Amino acid sequence: METIRNALDFSDFPRLDLTVAGAVSIAFVVFPLFPHSAFAMATMIQFLMFSLYGMGWNTIGGYGGQVDLGKAQYVGIGAYTTAVMLIRWDVPFWVSMPIGMCLAVGWSFIIGYPLFRLKGHYFAIATIASTLVLKDIFEVWGFVGAARGLEISPIKYNPPDFLRLIFRDDIYYFYTILGFFFLGIFYINWFRKSRLGFQLRSIKDNEDVARSLGINVHWAKVKTYAIATAFVSMVGSFHACYIKSIEPEDTMSLDISILIALMAMLGGAGSLWGPIIGAGILIPLKSYLKEWLGAQAGLVGIDLIIYAGIIMLISAFEPRGIWGIVEKIRRRTRS
Amino acid sequence: MPFLEVQHLTKDFGGLRANSDIAFTVEQGELVGLIGPNGAGKTTLFNCISGLHPVTSGQIIFDGEDITKLKAHEVARRGLARTFQVYSAAGDLTVKENIMVGCFMRTRSRSRAKARASEILKDLNIDDLSDYLVTELPVSAQKRVTMATAIGSDPKFLLLDEVAAGLNPNEIEGIMASIKHVHDDMGITVMLIEHVMELVMKISHRVIVLDYGEKIAEGDPEAISKDPRVIKAYLGERYVREHGVRSADSTE
Amino acid sequence: MDILVGSLFAGLLIGMVLALVALGLTIIFGVMDIVNFAHGEFLMIGMYTGLLTAQGLGIDPLLTLPVAAIVGFLLGIICYFGFIKFLLRGPMVAQLLGTFGLMLFLRNLALLIFGSEDRALHHGLLVGKSFDLGMGVIVSATKLACATLSVVAFVAVWLLINRTKIGKALTATALNAQGARYMGIPTEKMNALAWGIGGGSVTIAGALIVNFWSVNPFIGLLFTMIAFAIVALGGFGSVPGAFFAGLVVGMITEIPGFWDFFTYTFGADWMVDIPMTSFKYMWVYVAFFVIMVTRPRGLFGWKQ
Repeated sequence: METIRNALDFSDFPRLDLTVAGAVSIAFVVFPLFPHSAFAMATMIQFLMFSLYGMGWNTIGGYGGQVDLGKAQYVGIGAYTTAVMLIRWDVPFWVSMPIGMCLAVGWSFIIGYPLFRLKGHYFAIATIASTLVLKDIFEVWGFVGAARGLEISPIKYNPPDFLRLIFRDDIYYFYTILGFFFLGIFYINWFRKSRLGFQLRSIKDNEDVARSLGINVHWAKVKTYAIATAFVSMVGSFHACYIKSIEPEDTMSLDISILIALMAMLGGAGSLWGPIIGAGILIPLKSYLKEWLGAQAGLVGIDLIIYAGIIMLISAFEPRGIWGIVEKIRRRTRS
Repeated sequence: MPFLEVQHLTKDFGGLRANSDIAFTVEQGELVGLIGPNGAGKTTLFNCISGLHPVTSGQIIFDGEDITKLKAHEVARRGLARTFQVYSAAGDLTVKENIMVGCFMRTRSRSRAKARASEILKDLNIDDLSDYLVTELPVSAQKRVTMATAIGSDPKFLLLDEVAAGLNPNEIEGIMASIKHVHDDMGITVMLIEHVMELVMKISHRVIVLDYGEKIAEGDPEAISKDPRVIKAYLGERYVREHGVRSADSTE
Repeated sequence: MDILVGSLFAGLLIGMVLALVALGLTIIFGVMDIVNFAHGEFLMIGMYTGLLTAQGLGIDPLLTLPVAAIVGFLLGIICYFGFIKFLLRGPMVAQLLGTFGLMLFLRNLALLIFGSEDRALHHGLLVGKSFDLGMGVIVSATKLACATLSVVAFVAVWLLINRTKIGKALTATALNAQGARYMGIPTEKMNALAWGIGGGSVTIAGALIVNFWSVNPFIGLLFTMIAFAIVALGGFGSVPGAFFAGLVVGMITEIPGFWDFFTYTFGADWMVDIPMTSFKYMWVYVAFFVIMVTRPRGLFGWKQ
């Protein structure tokens, strides 16, 4: 009971934050009612998905300060579990998603246990290596379609199929992921104030201090890594049903891992709103740049050049992200 | 049986011997000072006791249990808390949240941790700082916060590492009152590393002196301040002059 | 038997080139504790430099090395003063993502300029020629020449670091930047120099590799990861470590060859079915992961 109350308790935020958050939430809910292009809808769904990835990453990366650049492997595990189970055994999404989460979390313990003996750069690079290994295995593993990947053919089903999450109209996907999105916010809101959340923030600052306050640093990190993984894998399962075609190259690529970390950092790692703001800027930017410059003007790569330029500017000049700037201004006006 | 017992503790870093065959005991309810010149191995000793460094050889027994091989968080959970010399509170947590991290060692419930943190804030007279980030505070207040954080974990024994360093005389008075309060009223056994002689000599029941990694003296403050070895190693001519201590060996 | 010797030899040769690839990464890491994700992109630029200079001037690709070295040196310096300098003030996560941004930037710039197709060298003194070393071992002349030149370049850089005054200043900065600054060493310039040498050595490696490997804008990541693996194995910041680790990693990339050998020798049918060639680089990553976790400071590491 206390847990639920804590999850719904946003009272430590200033009123302005809550007003903006409320207005944006309502705008999301009513968004499909207004005329919009299919492209805008797709961008919106991508945005919500990546916000969730970012929220997951934020637990270990933002609150815990462990730069994890290997989240794509768990996107892959979630997506493949759902796709394989649906195609081979006709298992509905709502069953395969938790199974995928269990598999991903199990794998995260196997990987995370040795991984968290490392720190800093070493940790970050090792997470990349672990993803690449899994990706290479999936690229030759015939059972999951090897490099060609898997294709969920919607013709076999009868959309809208709520159990299997097969729809013809994107609006259903939108509301599904929006539901996850709100649940995700409530969960993170609980997490950041929970015992583990506090312990993690202490670890980020100084591990020796954390240890001497009775915190089992290694175990706290591994646990949080599993939480982040569960988030990512959940959205991965959704990704399989939504995109319907998955291959190792785009579900498990390093670019996805980095994008996840980047969004959280751009928005402000270690804050509730950070990943959402980051995704809200980067995802539309990325897809519209691609649409306008890449596809229409025929300048392949220029969208990513601009995007890379933004990454470089942020990391060089405002590493605390947009939320960091907001907080700085607030502190200045207060004192 | 002593509350904390250190036997033949030796700690090497590579070829460097930071602690050499140190032995002492602390009884429950005592307030013990640990002094010595810079580099004497005081903080290393604390790190060994609190489990952050594995010891090279020797034994540490706390409350009847051998804690030599325990990890730092296991030591802390047995009621042996410590503070750190360098600023050591989490940067993006407020003062109250910092103390709550300590409180979370004994409870899973957020509301209980919060209530306990408020209690400690009030008890140590710093509840006006509650909502500041620790990085915004002056050093003297930061020192109190690290002490409060350690107290949040409800220790039976508290190791304080230079809580008065860098403070002005007024602030030293304040922190001295806090230490006394922690010791007398909360019933926590305290051992403290301190360079500020005015503080350590005034409040300690007993003082242990380290020099070059070895224990060179132990006794009540009065006797320590007259001990020739200590004067030679640590207090130096100035202290001797100011306090008019006369000793046969302190001629050089 | 010839497969075994052939694989061993091929592994050694490629290993020598890979050691040169990793050299720049380990120097940069050693001097300023920053991991350069764009390292493979530097190599890619070196490959394009070698290819285009050779085709443009109609000279042998092996003669393009000085051009590649200059391009790489300047590229390193420009990257340092234009970008990396600002990253050093920030937290580690910003450094990681910043160099990743640099990687994306260079990669897509190459994509915009050169297009996505594979390009390879078809002409050159040694292209297409090979030596028969007996026992059925045939080594392509380009690989042999590249391996030799890699070792030469590697030793040259090593001498530069160990035998010259400027190299000693560089080492001092690596060991203790603050101390070096107090001793009057311009650490800022040393950092830039590390990037210059790092960039120059890896573009030379690129200009060598393009002799037997086709180039496209996406090739960088593979080499970045290989270089990371070598640096992890050799110890972050260790130059001699990078050389031996390069040879080891070269061997690891030849695991499919060894696999074939064992398949033949034991006539093990089940081994034939495993598509070992597709796992060629996975072993590098696996080795990397295992090394990182068991020996985070590398087998010969010195930098804490």
